[in-house]
Amino acid sequence: MFTNLVDYFFSLESKRKKLLAKAPEGPLKEFLKVPFASTEQAIGEVDILALDFETTGLNAKQDKLLSVGYVNFKNGLIKLGQSHHQIICSNGDMDKDNVVIHQITDTEKANGCQLEQVIEQLLSDLAGKVMLVHYANIEKTFLEQACIKLYGMAPVFPIIDTLALAKKHFERAQKHFDPSQLRLINLRAAYGLPAHHEHNALNDAIATAELLLAQMRNYPQGFSTPLSEFLLK
Amino acid sequence: MSTELADIHDFIKAIEPFNQLSDSAIGQVINQISICYVREGEPLPPQGIDQPSLYFLRKGALAYYDMSNGEDGELLGKYGEGDICSVFCRTDRKENIKVIPEEDTLLCVIDYEELKVIIKDYPEVFAFFMNTAGERLQNKVASINEEAIVSSTLMNMSISDFYHAPAVTIDSKQSIQDAAIKMTELGFSCLVVVTNDELAGIVTDKDLRRRCIAQGLAVTQPVSDIMTSNVQLIDVNHSAHDALIKMTSGRIHHLPVTKNGKLAGMVTVTDLMNQEGLNAVNMASTIRKANTVVELAKIAELLPKLQIRMAKLGTTADHVGKTISAITGSFTMRLIEMAEKQIGPAPVPYAWMAAGSQARQEQFAHSDQDNALIISDDMQPEDDKWFADLAKFVSDGLAACNFIYCPGNVMATNPKWRQPAKVWGQYFDKWINQPEPLALMHSSIFFDLNTVCGDASLLAGVRAKMLNKTKANTLFVAHLSGNALKLRPPLGFFRDFVLISNGKNKKTLDLKHNGIAPIVDLARIYALSEGIEAVNTIDRLRQASGTPSLSSKSAASLIDAYEFLGMLRVEHQARQLQANTEPDNYLAPKEISRLEREHLKDAFKVIKSMQNSRQTTYS
Repeated sequence: MFTNLVDYFFSLESKRKKLLAKAPEGPLKEFLKVPFASTEQAIGEVDILALDFETTGLNAKQDKLLSVGYVNFKNGLIKLGQSHHQIICSNGDMDKDNVVIHQITDTEKANGCQLEQVIEQLLSDLAGKVMLVHYANIEKTFLEQACIKLYGMAPVFPIIDTLALAKKHFERAQKHFDPSQLRLINLRAAYGLPAHHEHNALNDAIATAELLLAQMRNYPQGFSTPLSEFLLK
Repeated sequence: MSTELADIHDFIKAIEPFNQLSDSAIGQVINQISICYVREGEPLPPQGIDQPSLYFLRKGALAYYDMSNGEDGELLGKYGEGDICSVFCRTDRKENIKVIPEEDTLLCVIDYEELKVIIKDYPEVFAFFMNTAGERLQNKVASINEEAIVSSTLMNMSISDFYHAPAVTIDSKQSIQDAAIKMTELGFSCLVVVTNDELAGIVTDKDLRRRCIAQGLAVTQPVSDIMTSNVQLIDVNHSAHDALIKMTSGRIHHLPVTKNGKLAGMVTVTDLMNQEGLNAVNMASTIRKANTVVELAKIAELLPKLQIRMAKLGTTADHVGKTISAITGSFTMRLIEMAEKQIGPAPVPYAWMAAGSQARQEQFAHSDQDNALIISDDMQPEDDKWFADLAKFVSDGLAACNFIYCPGNVMATNPKWRQPAKVWGQYFDKWINQPEPLALMHSSIFFDLNTVCGDASLLAGVRAKMLNKTKANTLFVAHLSGNALKLRPPLGFFRDFVLISNGKNKKTLDLKHNGIAPIVDLARIYALSEGIEAVNTIDRLRQASGTPSLSSKSAASLIDAYEFLGMLRVEHQARQLQANTEPDNYLAPKEISRLEREHLKDAFKVIKSMQNSRQTTYS
């Protein structure tokens, strides 16, 4: 299994190099220029960017990005001073239900940044780091889709998914679990973490980083555990 | 950084002393914060933090251990959500303290140097981190004393505390005579006149005299002819002081009281004067005029009210104790006068003594009676009958006045405590020269005596000899110290509990036994070892200040701690008396603010350090 992982990551790193050759000049190319962290590296030494997107829906092709929040995280310390939250202005009225969930109104959205600026900033801040998310599907596909739209191609990036880690933990322990137990809020509660302000991209990003800190208890080597143990396959 | 961090902002904003910071300063604090997570059992600081830092506990629990005496360490305190950990703020830490998470713990951490830059414009916040426990307590007590002076008698009382409800009304169409009849029947000097249930005016005794009789107006005329329309009103939530100002400036004696805009009652100038009149001077003079025990008992019912009132006015515990003790003294003196009237004059001179808290002038309402008699050495065996009768009369009288009989039988009715001066001298000789812990514990109350009534020279003589002996007797002082150290203050608070030294939690803090009594005991020891006559705790500490027994700095800290604990006790009891429950000394942490808990912890530290220095001197 370990060899497979190395193979997988080797291919991710090799994919990065291949894409770099094809990438147009600009933010995407700058992102791809920075090598990924080695999978052998201890997790404590790896630069991590905890990230969360709020979107109008689950389909990256149809739905839109509403806001982006992220915070830097290294060696067990979540640096609030190195955090970022940005609302994205896009065309089209917002779905009423989403206004309720994300509490972003049309007026706020109009005061937001263009998608292009936001993605450019995100790629620059993500370069050389591992992305940390809860339920990778959203952030992965929306970021890929945005890059295709803006630069004509999608990049690759290493991801740690706290939901996938939790699932793996349940499966390893051969514990029966209900899918709702994998929700960010429920996992946090199970680890004794305080309630947080949900559905705000930055607060969710911080909440995800805190969850990873709590999940570290499942790794006897702690912050010396190699990154490969955490990466999403 | 983003303004989106509402969770952390609210969390920091709720923590003392950061609640004093502006929102933008809190933003700056957040900007410097890292979140980290420490596992149960892994000592702080966490990996990656090597600079002096302050920690905020977001979730979990930390235990502090003093490692200076041995490997296991002595538990110093426990901290939970919303507490801060300042142990690692300084690099030049003298104490050897270990901080260990008792659960997996989520922390916010900020570099202390960065924090100092942010809080430099907030002197009180800055002082919080820079000052010692004693210094913080001193600031707090200074501000309490200031408040006590500023608050005037009526300022802190609300009209809702004493207005008459409901107001008695009369319809404006009814006659002047009807009004006069109603006022006479009810014994009221004033009625509210209403038209269709709406307030139209008021009519008073004075209106009947000036606007009706003097003018020769027929009493069959409607009452509206003589009423004062254009009435001044006052809302029930205003202070008594506001009412007084309104009355004096308008030269009126009656104010209808409104509640939510509706007529609710009436307050008169007499009510205000009665409120003003409920003070110690008034009470003492009514006690002097009382002729029967029943009358005295009636007056005694006012004692808890007086205590509530003083508490509301922000009176210091010292002042409350002195007032209540003085009034107990007045009751006792009046009872002795009544007794002498009944059983004739005393056969030989004597002194009626108060013992314990009353003698120290630290008594509160609802306390029990502790008393004794020192009789002239000229007394003959047959004289005891007279003193037994006196003791019974006074003791029963005090009991009727709600000073319950002493459960330990420290009363003049007990022949053991009704003795000539020479026997008292022998008692003290025995306690001092052959000290035994248990006997000393029971007799410590007799080292706090004062004369309530009678020949003061009797006690003075006994006391002078006693102090001469205690001053020279280190064994006695050692035994007294050993007893005093049995009552220890708790370590502090953990979540909403009181944390005691074995690491267990208690729901309430026993203010008396774990805070006030240890200081009283220490003060007694200082006084007896230095030959100080005073019995009042603060007086003892002041007089012992600067002697070999007590440095002036420690004396000041102990006085501050004593006054702060006393204030909490006065306020706690006022809440209970107000709710008509029996006052006690059990304070639940929930009753007080986080800041007050901090001050309490400071007080505990002061007591503990003085107890420890006693221990090293005498063990």
